[in-house]
Amino acid sequence: MSVPFLAMQEILKIFPPAVVALDRVSVEFRPGEIHAVVGENGAGKSTLMKVLYGLEAANSGQIQLRGQAVQFHSPGQAIAAGIGMVHQEILLVQEYRVWENIVLGLEPAGWFGRLDERQALRSVQQKIDEFHFNLDPLARVGEISVAARQKVEILKLLYRNVAVLILDEPTAVLTPQEIPQLFAELRRLRAGGKTILFISHHLEEVLELSDRITVLRKGRQVATLETSATNQAELSRLMIGRELARPPRPAAAPPGQPVLEVEGLSYRDGAGRLRLQDLSLQVRAGEIVGVAGVEGNGQFELVNVLMGLNPPESGRLLVQGHDLTRAEILERRRRIAFVSQDRGRLGAAVRATITENALMTHHRLNPRFTRWRGWRLEARAALQFARRIETQFGVSMASPEQPFQSLSGGNQQKVILGRELLLETPFLLLDQPTRGLDVGSMEYVHELILTLRAEQRAILLISADLEELFRLSDRIVVLHRGRLVADLPAVSASLEQVGALMLEGKEHPDGPQAD
Amino acid sequence: MGRKLISALLGVLIALALGALIMLLQGYNPLSTYAALFSFSLLGWSPLATTLRNAVPLILTGLSASVAFASGPVNLGQPGQLLMGALFATLGGLSLDLPPLVMIPVLLLLAMLGGAFWSGLAALARHWFNMDEFITTLMLNMIADYFTYWAISYPLYDAEAFSPMTPQIHRAGWLPEFGDFNSNVLVMLAAFGALWFLFNRLTAGYEWRLTGQNGLFARLGGVNIERNYLAVMLVTGALAGLAGGLVVMAGPHRFLKGLGANYAWDGVMIAVVANNGLVGTLLYGLFFSSLQTGALGMELITAVPGEFIQVLQAVIVLVVVAGRGRLDWLLERSLARQKARERAA
Repeated sequence: MSVPFLAMQEILKIFPPAVVALDRVSVEFRPGEIHAVVGENGAGKSTLMKVLYGLEAANSGQIQLRGQAVQFHSPGQAIAAGIGMVHQEILLVQEYRVWENIVLGLEPAGWFGRLDERQALRSVQQKIDEFHFNLDPLARVGEISVAARQKVEILKLLYRNVAVLILDEPTAVLTPQEIPQLFAELRRLRAGGKTILFISHHLEEVLELSDRITVLRKGRQVATLETSATNQAELSRLMIGRELARPPRPAAAPPGQPVLEVEGLSYRDGAGRLRLQDLSLQVRAGEIVGVAGVEGNGQFELVNVLMGLNPPESGRLLVQGHDLTRAEILERRRRIAFVSQDRGRLGAAVRATITENALMTHHRLNPRFTRWRGWRLEARAALQFARRIETQFGVSMASPEQPFQSLSGGNQQKVILGRELLLETPFLLLDQPTRGLDVGSMEYVHELILTLRAEQRAILLISADLEELFRLSDRIVVLHRGRLVADLPAVSASLEQVGALMLEGKEHPDGPQAD
Repeated sequence: MGRKLISALLGVLIALALGALIMLLQGYNPLSTYAALFSFSLLGWSPLATTLRNAVPLILTGLSASVAFASGPVNLGQPGQLLMGALFATLGGLSLDLPPLVMIPVLLLLAMLGGAFWSGLAALARHWFNMDEFITTLMLNMIADYFTYWAISYPLYDAEAFSPMTPQIHRAGWLPEFGDFNSNVLVMLAAFGALWFLFNRLTAGYEWRLTGQNGLFARLGGVNIERNYLAVMLVTGALAGLAGGLVVMAGPHRFLKGLGANYAWDGVMIAVVANNGLVGTLLYGLFFSSLQTGALGMELITAVPGEFIQVLQAVIVLVVVAGRGRLDWLLERSLARQKARERAA
């Protein structure tokens, strides 16, 4: 017990110019344990793992493997030493078969260096059997589910005989039904003597799966705990330094008049594929309608058609009775506020200043921001407006003249929300408004959305986070292959029911709601 | 701003040092060469006046490229737009004879019209046929080149001349000179001021800049992308056209063969070096003009050939563009190291 299996000691990592990402973090990992690393976004979880895996070089500190000091300059060296990482975004060759992806880079050579296919296939099948992975080695990666691809990534590392597997947010890409299966597989790996490091910010998962938990906060190691000796409340307090406020959802006032009315909307993409099929949807004043769906089932196209980036093939779009089906974008923006899921691409010009980003759309719709009949910008009004967003939405910034990209993700989203909410539109389209935000900022955005509902605004909330949808929505609609397959009141719907609808477009035959 | 200036100065100094190295390798004395170069471009009223006057077409075409690139459209048609501007101004100068106070503004407007007409063709080609301005402006350069060559060889040919050129424009259209200084500099400064105001203070300029940085964001924000595109093409074409008009009105007072020289391509190069900044374009334009102006003196006094200036310009472009960001990166990294030492201690 004197020599730890794997230890990171006094790891210090500073991102230029002076962002302390890891402040002398020391963690020990035991052989054959599942060790969770938790923390808010930006707490340093991924950085710590990247240092271990050789993707980032630490400024100081050392790593010891079985008592030997090691230093990895690349992931290849880490894998050779027995440490492998499964990334959040899965990196596989779509056109290759499962076994080809697994042996890629480490192919068994036959005569004259030719790939020995039979040998490769046999050893891949062996690994699949050893760990009871339910996977067809001959399937093409492009045709299998995300969960199966994740298995391929894990197998890839097992094929390289790693002793330590790092998984970065492995459940983020999975549906609720697929998570238990992953956990079962990880437990089998642990039984086989592997050490698993598991990054997550879903505390329920962490508590269910792990043996020990290390909590990071703002680059510091706050605690390492035995899972059996802790609970969710303690962990969230350690993670954010305070108890999470989770007030019971305020009872919804009875919703008012319909604000958004979508009637029979269809959209065909450039290649002629029908991406949205006969969509009808209503959102009333004071109502939040959540759109659930596995990514790629028409959410993107719905947003583009609503915002006027793509014309629909048929159908109508009305906001407060005004027909906006073919309206100019500026005309739509009088009635639609929009928060996109991709801040850098759709939500902001990141190199422009905060003020310039805050001013967008307002400069055309609000005469307060211009002089000379709209020709000249009123710079002072713009600056005041940015300051108003700063105070009203609690943005922490040095100056409204600093570049937008110098803000943290949470603060960027606050500026965007401020800009869009202050347009004072009756309808809001929120496309994954909390994507990439830490727990504190997420909480803030949720509160804000509920306040907006209380102000009798109509909100369409698209989210990949089912928990978020259930927490905020009055009704949940499910998008599956471009069609709305369900419209359920949130209070009576269940997570499993919505999960099944997302995956299969219909309710599960043996689900509780089916009988 | 301060850091940008330091980075730019450092880049220029490194480039000059590299230039010195090249001269040493060739067996020339770099110190006396640089002394000759800058004494013929900066020391004294007359060299200074020449440098300023030569800087005008560089800066105006540079501003044209900077505004276009910063706003999105890849207008590379400055050479053609310059020629068309010069042709329009020449036509006006030959056919009109008004009092100078009216004549000069009219010819300047005609020059801008000529440039805007030529860039407008590219804008229309995109609007109607979805042709990329990157290609069309380049092609239109060729057409402008041969079209103006034909115009000065046949319809506008000066019968008394031995090579293709037009007669001189009417006296009233000549830009006044104050001693050694030509008033084309004043026109350029006025254009610079107006453009700066447009770009930084007007609603249109705000939309152009944000569209240039993220067109999709601007479009979703309600910006009329199509209209702004047309406006940017017309304005930047007018700037290049103005450069051409000023070349005629300040210099030979006629359109002669090879009038456009390399002004417009140098202007594009200056925009690239200045990272599409307006003030940067003005300053680099002055600097490049001082190099080009001093080249003649350098050739006169030393044995270094005038072509060396082109080598030097290329080195400056490479060093400044490659060094941009790299310097910031080095600075930030050393700050991070310092912080790491503090923490570790």
